[in-house]
Amino acid sequence: MSVPLVDILSLSGALFALGIFGVLTRRNFILILISVEVITNAAILNFIAFSFYSPGPAAGGITGQSIAVILVGLAATEVAVGLAIVLALNRLRGTLNVAEAIQLKF
Amino acid sequence: MILGLGGRSLGKIHGWLAVAFEGAALLTGLWIALTELGAAHPYHDASFVWLGLPDGTNFVMGTLVSPLGALMLIVVNVVGLLVVLYSNEYMAHEDGLPRYYAELMLFLAAMNGLVLSDNYLEFILMWELVGVCSYLLIGFFWRKPEAASAAKKAFIVTRVGDVLFFLGVFIFFSSLGHLTAPPTLAGTVASTYPGTSCPASPVDPSWSCLGFTFTLPNGNSDTPFLSAGAALQAANYGRSSWLPTLAGLLILGGAAGKSAQFPLHTWLPDAMEGPTTVSALIHAATMVAAGIYLLAITSIYIGFTLTAAVVIVGIGGFTSFFAGTMGLASPDIKRVIAYSTISQLGYMAMGVGASSVIVDLTNPLADATLNASGVPMFHLFTHAFFKALLFLSAGAVIHAVGTQDIFKMGGLRKAMPITSTAMLVGGLALSGIPPFAGFFSKDDVLGLTWKAATQDGSWMLYAFFGFALLGVLLTALYTFRLWFLVFSGASSRDLPPADEGHGHGAPAALASSSASEAHGGTKETPAGATHSVLASSSAPSGPAHSPAVHSGPRDPSWIMSVPLVVLATLAIVAGFIPLIPGFSNLLPGLSWTVMGECVSHCPSGAAFDPTDAMLGGLSLALAVVGILIAWSFWGNGKVYRIPTGSALAVPHRILLRKYYFDEVYDGFATHVILGISRGADWVDRYIIDGTIRGIEEIFSQASKTGRRLQTGVVSNYAAWVVVGLLAFLVFFLYVVPWLVSGAHVSLTPGL
Repeated sequence: MSVPLVDILSLSGALFALGIFGVLTRRNFILILISVEVITNAAILNFIAFSFYSPGPAAGGITGQSIAVILVGLAATEVAVGLAIVLALNRLRGTLNVAEAIQLKF
Repeated sequence: MILGLGGRSLGKIHGWLAVAFEGAALLTGLWIALTELGAAHPYHDASFVWLGLPDGTNFVMGTLVSPLGALMLIVVNVVGLLVVLYSNEYMAHEDGLPRYYAELMLFLAAMNGLVLSDNYLEFILMWELVGVCSYLLIGFFWRKPEAASAAKKAFIVTRVGDVLFFLGVFIFFSSLGHLTAPPTLAGTVASTYPGTSCPASPVDPSWSCLGFTFTLPNGNSDTPFLSAGAALQAANYGRSSWLPTLAGLLILGGAAGKSAQFPLHTWLPDAMEGPTTVSALIHAATMVAAGIYLLAITSIYIGFTLTAAVVIVGIGGFTSFFAGTMGLASPDIKRVIAYSTISQLGYMAMGVGASSVIVDLTNPLADATLNASGVPMFHLFTHAFFKALLFLSAGAVIHAVGTQDIFKMGGLRKAMPITSTAMLVGGLALSGIPPFAGFFSKDDVLGLTWKAATQDGSWMLYAFFGFALLGVLLTALYTFRLWFLVFSGASSRDLPPADEGHGHGAPAALASSSASEAHGGTKETPAGATHSVLASSSAPSGPAHSPAVHSGPRDPSWIMSVPLVVLATLAIVAGFIPLIPGFSNLLPGLSWTVMGECVSHCPSGAAFDPTDAMLGGLSLALAVVGILIAWSFWGNGKVYRIPTGSALAVPHRILLRKYYFDEVYDGFATHVILGISRGADWVDRYIIDGTIRGIEEIFSQASKTGRRLQTGVVSNYAAWVVVGLLAFLVFFLYVVPWLVSGAHVSLTPGL
C-alpha cells in the first residue's frame, strides 16, 4: 500500500504554507527559526515523494533521497547559524523580539 | 646631411663644431643644388612608407629636390654658416651656449628638411619643427620676461596660421585621397578618371584631357606636388570652385602666420627679443622664408584660384606698405629692420599672388609654364643676403654700443667703418638702388604685379600695386633714417671716454631704454640731452650684452667681420646670379631685366619692354626720393623727432603702438574669447552638469521614497520575499503562457 503522490504533495504544501505563516507572524526569533525548519522539511518531503514515484531505480531512485539527506545536514548547519544569531542577539539586545532589532531601518 | 646638422656638441668648442657642421651642410647643399642645375628631372625618392593604412593610403617620407628647394638649400646654408660663424664672437659672453648651438643647428636642419620634403605631411612636420625652434631661440634669454612672452607670442600667433594650414592640407587630402601622388601626373588623372582621354603617362611637353591642358614645368615628369594639383584641377572642373579657393586661402593663412603677413604680423617685431643672430636667421633664411616657400610651391604644384590669388596680392601689397609705416616710427634698431622684413615679405607674397593671377587655376586656358613664382623666390634669395647683412651689422652696432635705441647712437661711421659700410650696402640693396641686389629682384616683383594687374584689369590689383609702390618709398625712407641716425654725423657725436660713462650711466641707460620701448620718440628729450645720454649707453641695456669695449665702439673682430664682408659682397652680386647659366632651372618664370632691357632668360619676343622700364624708373625714383627725405630730416647728424603736440604726433603715436594691433588682439582675447569661454562654462555648468544633477536628483528622490521599505523588521522582509515568490509564480504560470499563446504559438495543444 502506498500513499498517493497527491496526498504527500498536499501535506508538503500545507507544511510550506504553515512555515511561511509562522515566519511572517511570529515575533520571537526562535519561533521564526522553527518555522524556517518547517519550510525546509516541506521541501525535503517533496524530494522524497518524487524520488519514491520516479520511474525505475536507475533514473531517479536514490538521487532524491540523497538530496534529502544533504538537506537535513544543511538544515542542521542552518540551525547552528540561526542559534548563534539568537545568542548574539540576546546578548546584545536582551530580547529575542525581531520587531525591536531594527537597526537596519532607514 | 640632416642628421649631421643636428650634431649636438658640448664643451668649449661647440661653436666651432657647429661652424664645421654647417660648413659641411653648405657644401652638401651646394653640391645638391649644382646637380640640380644640370638635371633634367628633379631627384625624387619616396621609397620610405612612413604610415601605411589598410585602404592603400600611404604616407610617405620622401626627398624631393625641387628647383625652388635647391635654391632654398643655398640660401639657408650660406646664411646659416655665416650666422653660426658670427655667433662665435657675438654670443661668446652668454650662458647656455650648448643649448644655443643645438637649437640653431636643429633650426637649420628643420629648414633643410622642409625644403627637401616631397609631400605636405612631411612639410608640416618640418614646418612645426621650425616653429618650435624659433620659439626656443626667441626665448633664449628666458630670464627676461619680455623674451619669454615674445617667444610665446611668436609661437601662438604662428599657430593660428598653422591651424589654417592644416585645414588647407586636409582639404587637399580629402579631395585627392593622398598627399603624395603616384609617380606621374598623367597616371594620377587617368586613374582618377578612368575612361577619359587622359593618357596614362605624361606627354612632353603638354597634353589635353578633361578640358584642361596639362603642361610639365621644365619638362619634369616626376613632380609629386604637381600631380596633386592637376587632379584637384580636374576634380573641380565644371564645378563651383569654392573648395580650391578655400584651400588656397587656408594655405595663405598658414604662410601669413609664418611669414608675418598682415594681420598675423604682430609676432615678428617682438621676436627681436631674441639674440640678433637668431633674428638674422629667422628673417633671412629660415622661419619667414618657409611661408613664402610654401606659397611658391603651392602656386607651382597645385595653383591658386583667381580669388585666392587676388587675396594674396592684396595681403602682400598692403603688408609691404603697412609694415613700412610702422618701421618709420620705431626707435629700436632691430625693430626697424624687422618691419622692413615684414614689408619685403609682403613683396614676395605679392609676387606669388601675381604669378598665380596670371596662371589662374580655374581658367582652363591658363598656361602653367607662365607661372613666375621664381620672381618672388628671387627676391627671397637676394633679400636673405642683405637682410642677414643688415641684422648682423645691427648686431655689431649693438655689441659695440650696448643699446638698441637709434636715437642714442650717432656718428659711428668713423669708429666702425666696416660695419657702417656693410650696413650701407644692405640699406641700398633693401631700398632697391642699382647695382645692389634688391633693385633687380624688387623690380621684377613689381613688374610681375603690374603685368598681373593689366592682365586681370581689376582695380583692386592696381590699388595693391599702388600700396607696394608707396612701400618702396617708405622702405628707402626708414632704412636711411636708421642709417643716418646710427652712423652719420661729425665728431661731435663721438663717444666720450668710456670710464665717464661707466661711472653714472648704468641706471639712466636702463631706465631710458625701457622707457623708449614704451614711449619712444614722443618722449620730450631735447637733442642735446640725447647726446649726453649717449655717454651712458655703453652700460648693458640690450638683451644682456656686456659691452666688449672700454674705449668706445669699434669694429668687431674678424669672426664677426668676415660674415659682414661676405654678405655685403653677396648683397651686391646676388642680383646678377641669374646670369649664371642654368640658374633659370631654379627660378621658374624669371626673366632678368634691367630697366626693361631683357638681358637673360627673356621670354620669346619682346627684348625691350617700355612698361617695365617705366616701372623700374618709377621705383628707383621713389627710392631716391625716400633717401633724400631721410637725409633732409636725419642726415649729417641731425636728430629729428616728432614734437609732441604737433599734428604728426598722433599718427606717430599710433605707429609706435603698432596700430594698436596688440591691444586689439589682447582685447579680443580678454573679452571675446573670455566671453565665449564664460558662455561655454555656463553651458557646462548649468546645461550639462544640470542634466547630470537632474538625473541624480530623480534617483535621489526615488531612493528617499524607496528606503521607507527598509523597516528593519525581519518579518517585513520575509513578507516581501513571499510576495516576490508569489509574483514569480504568477508570472511564469499565467503571464508567460498567456504571452506565448498571444504570439500564436501554442505550447500545449489540446489542453
